[in-house]
Amino acid sequence: MVFIAILIGCVIGALLGMNAPIIPYSLSGYLAISIVAALDSVFGGIASVVKGDFDLKIFVTGFFGNAILSILLTYLGERLNVDIYLAAIVVFVGRMFVNLAIVRRYYVDKWTNKIKSMKVQKEENKEKNEE
Amino acid sequence: MKSKKKQIAITLGIMCLLLVYAIFTQLKTTQNLASTAGSTYRENGLRDEVLKWKEQYDRIYADLENAEEQLEKERQVSISYDDTSVQKQEELKKINTYLGLTDVEGEGIIITLRDNTTSLISSANNLVHDGDLRAVVNELKNNGAEAISINDQRIVPTTAITCAGTVIQVNDEIVGSPFVIKAIGDKNMINNVMRSGGWLDLLTDYGISVEVKKSDNIKINKYNGVLTDKYIETIE
Repeated sequence: MVFIAILIGCVIGALLGMNAPIIPYSLSGYLAISIVAALDSVFGGIASVVKGDFDLKIFVTGFFGNAILSILLTYLGERLNVDIYLAAIVVFVGRMFVNLAIVRRYYVDKWTNKIKSMKVQKEENKEKNEE
Repeated sequence: MKSKKKQIAITLGIMCLLLVYAIFTQLKTTQNLASTAGSTYRENGLRDEVLKWKEQYDRIYADLENAEEQLEKERQVSISYDDTSVQKQEELKKINTYLGLTDVEGEGIIITLRDNTTSLISSANNLVHDGDLRAVVNELKNNGAEAISINDQRIVPTTAITCAGTVIQVNDEIVGSPFVIKAIGDKNMINNVMRSGGWLDLLTDYGISVEVKKSDNIKINKYNGVLTDKYIETIE
């Protein structure tokens, strides 16, 4: 059910996005940084699902909060003539890698355990047969 | 429990929709600019700057157009009770049309000049020069053309057609081949313009592709610059 909803959301979003009017160039920088922030939240959400402490409220607030905060910071940086968005990108992309590493470890552990247990079972079966 | 799962599914679906929507819009925006990334950081920065200025210019120009519309409306309202001001208004409109400050349409001819790209010998004769455009415009005026534009740059009293290195500037805006010269006037002037020994005939001899056609309905846009009166004064 959840996966179907996500899939439908992606498809509708893609269709709408393809037919949407283009945004002004000066705003596209803000949109880009908010996309990175939102992607970071998504990977954070996947990692928390793997860890088993996923909370929808925290996920949603993080998704929108991060996006808005990053836009505000980028705007502030533009006013102050400091490239604050670089810091935001470093943080978000760094976190993405950390979260991906968590997911990867989880699945690698899971599969190695599975293979091990299968081997153990096979040996047990063999021993039984020899008896 | 089930309703909660439904809630989660819907929330995640909406969020995915937003995210993918944003990504696609961004992709389209960056694609539309067709900005092949420059070789240096500085070049990219400059390109960025130019695009931003251009956008600002467009916005301000739209504002100006709105303001002009508003002014026109105000004028209409203020003169609607007075006969003499109605007459004045008509006069003003006519003068603006003469000056090239309004969009106009009518019968006339369209001349298209293209650089000669088939010639194997690379020579300055293969190209359309600023002088050629000046000569053609002059000839059109001589034949009674009432409104002329080159690549949508309206010819007004202050228009200069100049050579700027590899490009031609009309009204300080860059124009390039193919040059589409629209002229509103008697469409039979085509015979005069195309006469043998005329400038277009000469250009054809040089191998430049010249295409002339009559049309009953040509639209010419107004001049979008500013006519100044800093130095001229009317003698009463």
